[in-house]
Amino acid sequence: MSVNTPAGPVDVASLDIDAIDLSDRDFWAEPPAVRHAVFDKLRAERPFAWFAEPTMEGMEPGPGYWAVTRLADLDAISSQPAVFCSGQGAVSIQDIPADLSEFYGSMISMDDPRHARIRRIVAKTFTPRMLEQVVDSVVGIVDDVLAEARAKAEAGDGSLDVVADIAAPIPLRIICDMMGVPEEDRLLVLNASNTILSGGDPELTDEADPLTALLEAGMAMAELMGRLAAERIENPTDDLTTALVNSEVDGEKLTHQEIASFFILLLVAGNETTRTAIAQGLLALSENPEQRAAWMADPSMDKTAVEEIVRVVSPVTWMRRTATQDGEVNGHAFKEGDKFLLFYNAANRDPEAFENPHALDLSRSPNNHVGFGGHGPHFCLGAHLARRELAVTFRRLFEICPDLEITGEPARLRSSFVNGLKRLPARLTGDR
Amino acid sequence: MSRVQVDRERCVGSGVCESLAPEVFEIDDEGVLQVHREEPAADDLDGVRDAVQSCPARALALAE
Repeated sequence: MSVNTPAGPVDVASLDIDAIDLSDRDFWAEPPAVRHAVFDKLRAERPFAWFAEPTMEGMEPGPGYWAVTRLADLDAISSQPAVFCSGQGAVSIQDIPADLSEFYGSMISMDDPRHARIRRIVAKTFTPRMLEQVVDSVVGIVDDVLAEARAKAEAGDGSLDVVADIAAPIPLRIICDMMGVPEEDRLLVLNASNTILSGGDPELTDEADPLTALLEAGMAMAELMGRLAAERIENPTDDLTTALVNSEVDGEKLTHQEIASFFILLLVAGNETTRTAIAQGLLALSENPEQRAAWMADPSMDKTAVEEIVRVVSPVTWMRRTATQDGEVNGHAFKEGDKFLLFYNAANRDPEAFENPHALDLSRSPNNHVGFGGHGPHFCLGAHLARRELAVTFRRLFEICPDLEITGEPARLRSSFVNGLKRLPARLTGDR
Repeated sequence: MSRVQVDRERCVGSGVCESLAPEVFEIDDEGVLQVHREEPAADDLDGVRDAVQSCPARALALAE
């Protein structure tokens, strides 16, 4: 569908529902207001909308998919993992080709019992109690990054890029610290995770075709993990990599491939999502200055504010499920093999679930959003860590960079999968 | 007396319950959920109900 950038609010009534195509890559380059209007229309009029699959070079397009946009429907699907499985692919519309599944066939695209086995091994590292131990290091990393951003801006004309200088390095350093990735390998991790989640955005995959770029990024990460794992078997430390290479379930260790694909999952999921929440969150705050001021003045709002940022930003746009049998969900009939894309961005603005859903309300409570996924076994493993990172980041930002001002339009990632920003220009006014 | 019930097949050790009712729930070093008080104190009941509601794996119930 082609929608020109509107001058004002988008008139939902004038949208032609039959012209909507979520598989059209140009749709994902539309301004957010247009995309939200389209999802409002689908949610209200065609909550299970059928789309042909996008074409990707080197891959046969599959039969198509249902786009799920209501929160109640999304949660019903998410919470029945036996009926709606992840094992045929959760992060791609196409089934995963065999040569990519070695690197990307992680537990996010697995079903029980294999999923549960691996999830339990790693879950113990991400519990609230375990994370209490890394809080100090989170604060230290955030303070370092903000001090570096401030120094860099002040050494120049005061300008900085929120994404490159603040939002990207914070989660990257935290997850690399937890995994024990050495300093000199961190740029590789950043670049590879950019490629993996770029959705084929040409700026981030250079000239290579998307499949080759994905394969190369996966190989680079797997090589790094292989090296780290070998080192940790020799010389155990207290990092997550050591825990992974040594952990056993029912007397069985994780295989080398399981460790590598989990490593990729953690690095990618731990980086891009939090980066997106920070950058898009700062943008949302700059668009709502009165709320920014209220939150800045009141640390007791941290908890609800972080949830609201995750809701309105919805860093991950969708996950896929595939029906294992014929059936019906909330009155909608489906066949075995049908694919469903769960649109978290749409469900998080469902007026049935949220009052005034398009408004940022940092004190919203309750806030039963699905920004970390719906109910079910695949609920975000890193949710506790992400909440902690976001609360610390925004609080320290208010203290160290209270004079941060967004100065221009963001460069948005053209991706259906992650609601990312590539750049967000800002400056420090010096007024603090 | 209200009693906490855990469906061990469903629990994935996410720890959401622990973050909402730490007096009652704890994920131990093996990643297994421990219920410290199967019959929670009256003061903890709100947190436990919240945990039952929020459990991503729908593994908790409170028999009241």
